[in-house]
Amino acid sequence: MPQPTDLLQGTLDLLILRTLALEPMHGWGIAQRIQQVSRNVLQVGQGSLYPALHRLEYKGWIEADWKASENNRKAKYYALTATGKRQLEAEIESWDRLAGAVALVLDQI
Amino acid sequence: MLKEFFTRLRFLFASKSHGEVDEELRFHLDQQIEANFRAGMSSEEARRQAAIAFGGVERTREQCWEERPGYLMETFVQDLRYALRGFRRNPTFSATVVLTLMLGIGSTTAVFSVVDRILFRSLPYGDADRLVSVGLIAPIEPQEFMLGGSYYEWQDNQKPFVSLTSESWTSPCDLTESNPARLDCARVEGNFLPTLGVSPVVGRNFTANEDRPNGPRVALITYGLWQSRFSMDPAAVGKLIRIDGNATEIVGVLPKDFEMPRLQAADVLLPQTLDVAAERRADPGHPMWAYARLKPGVSVEQAKAELEPLFDYSLRLAPAPFRKEVHLRVRSLRDRQVHEVSLAAWILLGLVLTVLLIACANVTSLLLARGASREKELAVRSALGAGRMRLLRQSLTESLTLSVAGGAAGCFFAMLLLRLFIAMAPDGMPFLGKARVDLRILIFALATSLLCAVFFAVMAGMRRADPEALTGRTRLNLRHAVLRRWLVIAQIAASVVLLAGGALLVRSFWNLEKQSLGMNAENIVTAAISLGQTSYPTPESQMAFFQRLERNLRYGPGIAAFAISDSLPPGGSHRDQVYASLQVEGKPVLASGTGGTVASRWVTPEYFRALQIPIVQGQGFTEAELTSNDHFVVLSKSLAGRLFPSQNPIGQRLHLHHGAPAASDPACVVVGIAADVKNGGLAGSEEPEYYQLRRNRAEDWDRSSVLILKTTLPPGATDAWIRSQVASLDPTAPVDIRTLSERVGKLADRSRFEMLLVGFFACTGLVLTVVGLYGVIAFFVVQRTPEIGLRMAVGASRADILRLVLANAFRLIVPGALLGLVLAAALSSVLQSLLFNVSAHDPATFAAATGLLILVALFATLIPGRSATRVNPTVALRCD
Repeated sequence: MPQPTDLLQGTLDLLILRTLALEPMHGWGIAQRIQQVSRNVLQVGQGSLYPALHRLEYKGWIEADWKASENNRKAKYYALTATGKRQLEAEIESWDRLAGAVALVLDQI
Repeated sequence: MLKEFFTRLRFLFASKSHGEVDEELRFHLDQQIEANFRAGMSSEEARRQAAIAFGGVERTREQCWEERPGYLMETFVQDLRYALRGFRRNPTFSATVVLTLMLGIGSTTAVFSVVDRILFRSLPYGDADRLVSVGLIAPIEPQEFMLGGSYYEWQDNQKPFVSLTSESWTSPCDLTESNPARLDCARVEGNFLPTLGVSPVVGRNFTANEDRPNGPRVALITYGLWQSRFSMDPAAVGKLIRIDGNATEIVGVLPKDFEMPRLQAADVLLPQTLDVAAERRADPGHPMWAYARLKPGVSVEQAKAELEPLFDYSLRLAPAPFRKEVHLRVRSLRDRQVHEVSLAAWILLGLVLTVLLIACANVTSLLLARGASREKELAVRSALGAGRMRLLRQSLTESLTLSVAGGAAGCFFAMLLLRLFIAMAPDGMPFLGKARVDLRILIFALATSLLCAVFFAVMAGMRRADPEALTGRTRLNLRHAVLRRWLVIAQIAASVVLLAGGALLVRSFWNLEKQSLGMNAENIVTAAISLGQTSYPTPESQMAFFQRLERNLRYGPGIAAFAISDSLPPGGSHRDQVYASLQVEGKPVLASGTGGTVASRWVTPEYFRALQIPIVQGQGFTEAELTSNDHFVVLSKSLAGRLFPSQNPIGQRLHLHHGAPAASDPACVVVGIAADVKNGGLAGSEEPEYYQLRRNRAEDWDRSSVLILKTTLPPGATDAWIRSQVASLDPTAPVDIRTLSERVGKLADRSRFEMLLVGFFACTGLVLTVVGLYGVIAFFVVQRTPEIGLRMAVGASRADILRLVLANAFRLIVPGALLGLVLAAALSSVLQSLLFNVSAHDPATFAAATGLLILVALFATLIPGRSATRVNPTVALRCD
């Protein structure tokens, strides 16, 4: 198994928004989903996850609601807002640009 | 965007509870445990692994809390409250910092506002940086001027300028209408306004046709006159006004901020209507002042070089002996305007920057001391979990609070100080009356104070909290102690420089006030009267007026002596001519050079008695000579010595205007030698002088004269009587009544102002320095209290302890004073031109300044020194 990579500054927000674009989820679910989809490369600790979730919520990009979880416990579910959707598109675009640019440089040299 | 804002706003007021975050985190942990359990771990192991993976809960909870909008605001308010509490606990410290900042920022702002008006103000002309003043300088007139004889030659042939223009004389003129008024009329060339880049707000400039002899009479009026006489009615243009009895059409109104390039007062501009052809032939022609607009890309130096051939032409017109003393000058208009105040302005700027430096050193030193004594507190806060950023923010808040308070106090202080400056300033300081606390400067000063705050905060906040401080032992922080000592040494040095400068100016002012004027100005009332053009068109009518006035006033109550002159000593405004134009009958005139200038006055016989100027030889003017056909002259002792080195001057005949037509250069008989009188201003050099008798002949009189009355009454008692006597002859004649002492005192205004300003800054600097020194010594005593206690316990006497403190103070004072003396000696020579009869390196003055500083510094040391001797060894030792 490759070593888990440290998340690039600022990409956590993007990952959270992208994950929530599928369906509303609680914090643990988000962490698990990111870990699974990235094949264990990206591990999000609660220490950075929850401050990020709260930050996004304060910004109004996601909203939270207490609902019953799959095992019937009360859990806080986060969902993307309209502003969040727009923000996600913008962030994906800027990520693509960045990644493309980095790839170009790497290919060139 | 808007929605985001509202979301933030909502959360700002309805904050989430801590419990909600806890519950969320607990859910996360439980999920992890369950997952581990499902992966086959024992329940114990699942719990353990989940807890390890999860990490610290408290930190996460804190971080979630810190993400709150308004968190920064909240901690800021918290920090602010904490800072204010701290200041209240230590009011001396906070008051000192705020006062220091107030003095520093306030005086800097006030002085910058003044200096800005003088040195850097924008002139009210279009593209004023391209304007230059052009002309000749000669011993008789140190400011550049032109003569009609060569001006037009220059105008035709000059290359470096877009245009060259001139103004000639400015003189009082009368608006003779239903509501008469005395105005100042300036005569200017037709292209005057276009060259300066000024266009009338209403109406038009003069046309070429109007600037010819006998052209149509037209005038441009100033905005002020337009406002006061025509209520800003645009229809004023085209109206006829009577100036000195002549109907003159107003063709335009000048802009509000218009001023003459020489800054003289003027209400009306008239075309100078010189006969150009006659001027070209004339020698020397009309005196005038010339200004020009440089062509693009031409520098002042280039322009001067290009004018050299024209200057040579003008030189050829001048009498051969004078040529060496005439020079060409081209300089920017701004330089011409500020020529003599600029030095004072720069010195002022230097002074205030020194004060600012001392103030900054003081604040730094105070904050360093506070930082050192709060090391323990810092360590505690750090140990309790305050992060570096958090500590930095807290110290930033503290400094910001102090600087904002200091800045605000500084603003008020600046306004106060500026008002004081304007009230104190003599008339000679141009623009000072218009100085305002400039918004830009205020912002600059506030920015400076904020910058200071950030600097201090970072200085204090960057320090890593030292856990050692928690042990409770007081230790000397060597690095800061050394820095503070250097700051105090620098302060003392700067203070010595300021004090030395102040002392030099006080000395100079003292010399100025105490010098002998050569006459007695006590109990002399003077009344300057200038008669109108229309009421008194001829010298006969002018003489008649003054002689009637003399008859009415001479034998009035308390009048001991009465004289009429055309000017008064010691001010510099009198007739001037070159020495070379004096010719003793039967002797050749001076062979080469001008021989410098000679002053002259027209006086009535009692002039010398009224002013108590001794006649040292001969008998002076007598009543009998008043009706004589001959001309009489009294020489000053220095002039007599020069003209008649080895013979008795009395009875000799003298021609006063050599080279002039014989009719206007009659032989004058020398009837007396008067003692020398100060006549070139208080600080100026004395000129040789002669007096001509005003006989009962119209040719000896002109329209402006000064009455000199020696009274036995208290000052002010005769003013109303003189005024009523003048009014009974001519109610419209303006009279300026003042005692001669007042007139003399006014001449010293300038140096009094300079002395007070420098003195003020020297005192401010001294106070700040003493505060700084006191702070360092007091801090030294506090930090060494255990050591002092120990010394006393093992037998040191109080005198020993005092000696310890004093020795420490002397290690600051002596190098500071020495450094200051060296700096003062190096810098004081810039003051030389402001000083009168005292050298810029006067040892006695320097010694006095240093002595004063050492005395005050010792006093500042004695207070903490005394408290050191009162240390109770038992208490001091138990403390640690």
